Amino acid sequence: MSVLVKLSTTLRDHIPGYNPETGLDADLTACAPLPTAETLARHIGLPLEEIKIVMVNGRRQELTSPVYDGDRVAYFPAVGGG
Amino acid sequence: MSVPCDETEIRRLLEPHAAYGADGMPCVGREAVATLAQALGLTVKETMIVLLDMDIWPERFRRNQGVFSAKQMARLLSRRVFIAGCGGLGGHVASLLARMGVGGFRLCDPDIFEESNLNRQYFCTEKTLGKPKALVSRDGLLDIASYLDVDAHVIAAAPDNLPTLLQGMDAAIDCLDSVPRKKMLEEAAHTARIPFLHGSVLRDEGFAFLSTSSFQLAAMYPLIPAGTDSSAGQNTAGTAAAGTACLMASLLGKGLASESPKDSPLFHLDYSVPEMERFCLAPR
Repeated sequence: MSVLVKLSTTLRDHIPGYNPETGLDADLTACAPLPTAETLARHIGLPLEEIKIVMVNGRRQELTSPVYDGDRVAYFPAVGGG
Repeated sequence: MSVPCDETEIRRLLEPHAAYGADGMPCVGREAVATLAQALGLTVKETMIVLLDMDIWPERFRRNQGVFSAKQMARLLSRRVFIAGCGGLGGHVASLLARMGVGGFRLCDPDIFEESNLNRQYFCTEKTLGKPKALVSRDGLLDIASYLDVDAHVIAAAPDNLPTLLQGMDAAIDCLDSVPRKKMLEEAAHTARIPFLHGSVLRDEGFAFLSTSSFQLAAMYPLIPAGTDSSAGQNTAGTAAAGTACLMASLLGKGLASESPKDSPLFHLDYSVPEMERFCLAPR
C-alpha cells in the first residue's frame, strides 16, 4: 500500500532530501483506516495550511478526498508570482 | 479587411521588391511593406494584413510559416491584448507575442525595475533600472515592431480601472504577482467576455492555462478571496519565468489565431526535473 507523492516549490522545504525527479514513495498503511490526501500530508510532515492545491492522478481533489494504493498525489502551495 | 485596390495592382507595385523562398512563396521585406503602405494609404500593419490575405508573407513573419497560416497571421495582427504585469512573465510574454505577430498591446504595471529583477525580467537591464516597467516594455516592443499599437499605464490593475483597461482588448493576460489579484483579473476578463490567459511562477516551477469563460483560478484557490493582499517578492528562476511565458504565448497565439479559442488544461512546468504535466481542474 503505497503512493507516489510529488511536492511543489516551498512544500519541498519541509521534507529534507526530497528528490523532485523521483518524488516520495509513501506508505499508506500508516494512514489507515481511510487514507485521504490530508492524512497522507500529515503523515509525511506537510503543514496543511500551506497546501492550496491537491492533484490526484492529474485531477484536482480536496484534502478530504480518499487516496488509494498506486495513486500519484501532488501537493502545491499558492503559486502566485508573475 | 477588404483589399483597397485590386490584387493585380498590388502585385505590380510589389514586383520590384518581392523575394521568393525555395518553396516559391513570395516574401516582402519591411522597406517594401512601408513603400506599399504609402502607395495604398494604409498603415504598415494594415498593409501586412492585406498582403497576408493574398498569401504574401512579410519577411519578418516568414519563419512562422508551417506554424501559422497566412490567414491566421492576418488574424493575429488584427488582435490587441492586455498584459497586467510587466515583470518576469509579462516582459517575456509581450516580446514573444510581438514577434509572433500580435498587433497591439496595452501594458499595465505600477512598478519600476529593480536590481533583483535582473535574473529573469526580459526588459530589465542595467540601463533600465529605476525606470517604470510598463514604459520600458512599451519602448522595447516598439523596438521589435514599430508598427505595433501599444499604450502603457504606470498603474496597478484594480477593479475600478479594469473595465476601462479591457475595453477593445481581445484577451487579458495575467502576469500579476499575487493570487488574489490574479483572481480579480480573471473575473474582469470573463465580465468583459474575453479570453483569460493565466501564468504564475514560483522558484523553478510555473502554471499556465487559457480559459474562455470558466473560473479556473477560483477552482484552484477557492479559499483565497479575489483582489485582496499582494504576495510580491517571491523567489523565481529566470528559466521558470521564460519557460512559463513561452507556454503562455503558445496557448494564446493558437487561441487568437483560431476562430474560436478553446479552454486549455492547466499546465504545470517544473524546471527542477525538468518536466511538464497537464492537470484537470474539474473534480472527479
